[in-house]
Amino acid sequence: MSARESRLRLGLVFLLLLVLHFYVRPRFGDSRAAPDFLAMAVLLFALRSTPGDAAVVGLCTGLLVDALTPGRFGANALAHSVVGYLASWGRAVFFADNIVVTAGFFAVGTWLRNLLVLLASGTGGADLLTQALVWSTLQALSTAACGTVLVVVLRGWLDIRILE
Amino acid sequence: MSALGRPSPFGPDRSSGRRDSVLALFSVVVSLVFLLGPASWGNTAGSLVRASVLRPFLWLQAEAVAARTSRARFAVLESERDSVAFTAQQVPALQVENERLRRLLGLAQRLTTPYIASEVLRQPELADGRTLLVAAGADRGVRPFDPVVSPEGLVGVVQTVEPTTSIVLTWAHPEFRVSTFVGDGAVAGIIAAAELPLGSNPMLELRGIPYRDTVPIGSAVLSSGLGGVYPKGIPVGLVAGVLREQPGWERIYLVRPAANLAAVSHVLILRGGPGTPVDAAFQPGAAP
Repeated sequence: MSARESRLRLGLVFLLLLVLHFYVRPRFGDSRAAPDFLAMAVLLFALRSTPGDAAVVGLCTGLLVDALTPGRFGANALAHSVVGYLASWGRAVFFADNIVVTAGFFAVGTWLRNLLVLLASGTGGADLLTQALVWSTLQALSTAACGTVLVVVLRGWLDIRILE
Repeated sequence: MSALGRPSPFGPDRSSGRRDSVLALFSVVVSLVFLLGPASWGNTAGSLVRASVLRPFLWLQAEAVAARTSRARFAVLESERDSVAFTAQQVPALQVENERLRRLLGLAQRLTTPYIASEVLRQPELADGRTLLVAAGADRGVRPFDPVVSPEGLVGVVQTVEPTTSIVLTWAHPEFRVSTFVGDGAVAGIIAAAELPLGSNPMLELRGIPYRDTVPIGSAVLSSGLGGVYPKGIPVGLVAGVLREQPGWERIYLVRPAANLAAVSHVLILRGGPGTPVDAAFQPGAAP
């Protein structure tokens, strides 16, 4: 598979996750624990790209989220950029192609993204603890579950190696 | 090549490189500019993003929310429709009860003897119908052996009186008896519950009719006032046919009860004693 074709497929998956985020996610009851398809998209992109590209995609995705939650514009952009860069870099340096590690990759990435957003937007005190320890953890787990399923389903199409 | 030795699909090396550093730095700087800069910058950028890139996705989200809201509204409408249907099912029963109460009120206005109006407290028991529990007791002046009537006719007699309730022995009870006459009074007999095969509708039988007397089908059977319990003139039923006979000696007639115990919800307990005729109150054409 050529680099161009790989990018095209990755772009289509990214678009699919955008649609899922805006069309499927509102149907979940409590959205605080619902899987975050945008974070999933950034992390999936980070799996298949260089850290610099992942950071830029994280920036763009974060700006989209900031446009939807304009309370502290830039917080999501910063968080997604950092997580995208670290995810891609960490993936290349540390991670094996293992399904459990992939699930952990999505969980930690989502949780770290949430923590950075909370810190950058000035959330503090008990609210920070509740959000970080309860809701962020739940969302990280749900995102990890969905992300792992997505990777397993699309591993052939995206040329991702998964060792079971 | 990556640190694990995997070839990168897009570049020569993923973990290092000037390009990655520059892009990452650029991303962080842009984010910080928006984060630390004037709020108007963020508002403007957000507005632009919402009006362009996010526009189709926000439309999608609006559709999703509308679908979810529609489902919730549909559930509310369904529950409201069910409630209305349930209420509508009760309307015929309420109309019947209303009609019965009107007739009972008319009877009460026509009665010249003292009476006590009472509700029937139905019990879901197998033997319900042979006795009835009514919501009037000694506190309201009910006494044993007071006759109990409905607008259609005789229901029974008070058997037991308690402080706030009473038990009525109805015409369906095997021990129920009432002295009656048929039509113009030429033929007299005793009414009791008929012994019919299991599953038959409860009926009465008119006993003690001499073989020489013939009772036309459809004749009204009224209480005679004899026996010291029931006043004269309470409708008991209509003759439906000959039940059995002892040739040359006696005929026993089947009588369709005037008062349907299954439909009785309110009754009048007569307090005037057996000496006060009530036949005028039960005349078909009597004015309320």
